[in-house]
Amino acid sequence: MAAHTSRAFLSLGRINVPGLGLHKSVSRVTYSTGLSTDSSKATTGSPQKGGKKVLSKKYKREPGDPRTELMPVDQDWTAVYPVATPFIPDAIPLPVRMGCPVKGGAPPEKKGNLELIKIPNFLHLTPAAIKKHCEALKPFCTEWPSALDTDAKCDEHFPIKVETKSYVSAGPSIRNPAARIVHLSVKLSSLNLNDQARKKMLKLVGDRYCKDTDILTITADRCPLKQQNYDYAMYLLTVLYHESWKIEAWEAEKTVADMEEYSWEGSLSQENILDVLVRMKEAGEGEGEEVREQLLGRREVQEYKDSVTRLKNEGENESTMLQYKEAVKKVLKL
Amino acid sequence: VSSRRLWLRMIHVCSRSRLCSLSVSFQACQSEKHFGQYYTLPSAHVRTVFPHGLPMRYKQQVKTFNEACMMVRPPALEVISSLKKTDNSKPAVRYLFYGLKGSGKTMTLCHTIHFCYTQGWLVLHVPDAHLWVKNCKELLPSSFNSSRYDQPLQATEWLRNFRITNEPFLSKIKTKQRYVWTKRESTEEGSTLGELVDQGITRVKTSSDVVGAVMKELRLQSGQPESDFRLAVAVDGVNALWGRSTIRKMNNTAVDPEELTLVYNLRKLMKNDWTGGAIITTLAQTGAVYTSKYSYLPKELLGEKGFDSMDPFIPVSVPNYSEKEFESCYLYYMDRHWLQYPHSRTEDGKKELIFLSNRNPSMLERICGFH
Repeated sequence: MAAHTSRAFLSLGRINVPGLGLHKSVSRVTYSTGLSTDSSKATTGSPQKGGKKVLSKKYKREPGDPRTELMPVDQDWTAVYPVATPFIPDAIPLPVRMGCPVKGGAPPEKKGNLELIKIPNFLHLTPAAIKKHCEALKPFCTEWPSALDTDAKCDEHFPIKVETKSYVSAGPSIRNPAARIVHLSVKLSSLNLNDQARKKMLKLVGDRYCKDTDILTITADRCPLKQQNYDYAMYLLTVLYHESWKIEAWEAEKTVADMEEYSWEGSLSQENILDVLVRMKEAGEGEGEEVREQLLGRREVQEYKDSVTRLKNEGENESTMLQYKEAVKKVLKL
Repeated sequence: VSSRRLWLRMIHVCSRSRLCSLSVSFQACQSEKHFGQYYTLPSAHVRTVFPHGLPMRYKQQVKTFNEACMMVRPPALEVISSLKKTDNSKPAVRYLFYGLKGSGKTMTLCHTIHFCYTQGWLVLHVPDAHLWVKNCKELLPSSFNSSRYDQPLQATEWLRNFRITNEPFLSKIKTKQRYVWTKRESTEEGSTLGELVDQGITRVKTSSDVVGAVMKELRLQSGQPESDFRLAVAVDGVNALWGRSTIRKMNNTAVDPEELTLVYNLRKLMKNDWTGGAIITTLAQTGAVYTSKYSYLPKELLGEKGFDSMDPFIPVSVPNYSEKEFESCYLYYMDRHWLQYPHSRTEDGKKELIFLSNRNPSMLERICGFH
């Protein structure tokens, strides 16, 4: 574009290369006939009737108004862009600018802008077009079951959710290897697990479980086909469920370090507090078990137990620390 | 820098005005009415009670201002009021000061120690337990127990400072057991604590075991009906006892703190199986090894083992200055002409100080040095 304009300035009398529509009705650029200098012949390259000195004014059609001027505001846009088409500046009535702005100026306008043509546009997918697509697809769809109107009901009747993606693209092959991935998600509360089974399931599953939403997600992508991956994911779920219900002999060796949650009974904290209370002679005279039972039954000791459990399970922050402090003060009678 | 401070002090000494509301004499202190006010420690007390306990910057401040003034703050008063009510027959209660870096935990501990001293308690003050688990120049295998290690230099230094603090008790307390140091040296039953301490200071090789013996004697004797003293154990940086150490053995493996005699004996003191006193401790991240810079809560610094050993304890939070405390500190620095620039006397200057320091005591002290 820049090259052409410079040439136009340099050659006052030369032929303006026709057909590019540089300027509309700019009178200073004049046409010259075939009788002009030799260089012009070289630049045009168009075959002239050799040697004939015919003063034929080459008819050039005036470029008319672009289509945007003639479009009504309430037209049917889906007819203008029914399919994915590159950007046509004269067919899109939007004053779009794109590209690197000239210094102190604006980005280049849409007319002849290669940047706008290069990028993909979604002008064929306006809401009106989508609506038409939906209307066209409706005869092939079945109705959503009216009984499943809430999310809770869907979860109740269909606890396992399978997520897959399929890909459509224009290319030499219609296959896409990413289409084989299958995500299977299920809420653990919908599975029938007791306490021990749930803990074992969580240990088996590891990172695939989200504590906040209680959802176990199994992702299968090791087989080449989607159906194979789906079968594998269902198989994994079945195996996990059955394995977590089995109790092995070595599970009896579970140590304190393996425990998921802190339990106060039998912990060092319990020993310490009972020891202290016995030495403070709070329980009066007595021996062994009855003294312990009596001490454990006291309200302050229960409060202390709650505060320590909360501190260890929830982590420390100001509120848990304060609760612990109050509980210790009460137990030690300060 | 210190000469500049001296010069400025000389210029202002004539115009220095003491505001009575700021400093309260010690006898009248220690109640809620005095929150935020400063009380002066007598210099004799500073020399005896704190040969090794005060923070470094505070010691410089004491030298500069020629007086030791401490602010009365709620955490210290809480522990002091509990200490006043301690029952001699009950097991020792453990208090733990925790808080952000520079919020005043060591100063609160020193305040409490000073209170115990004025009440006539025997103060066993370990100024920084971290010093015992790092930078050990001499590590000897213990003669008493071959699996443990002695640290003679640290032990001797501690014994010296212990002697300075507790002079009056050294001649009163008698040992209940005979201690044999070498074939020719032994401390007989019934000898005074002073002799035991001197033995440790003069014979450097046995000093760690002497420390252990001292701790054992005090632990056994406090709270007994015939002994008339109460024991206050104060440890700064108690999380060092259950952490990791940077000391290496000869074969380059790390030494577990439990294998150090000093730490082993101090841990025994930390248990609440003795009566007639109190255990006041502080968490410290500042000198700690292998801990994150931002951790300050008890469980993260003590670890599982430390928490279980200290349990049940009373955690006392030491927060940054409140508005009233900040005002008081600001007025104190103004009174001592520590804030030099006229800009710091304006409202804007004060707001700037609040913004820069976030009312953190140590940050405020450092920033005021530049204003």
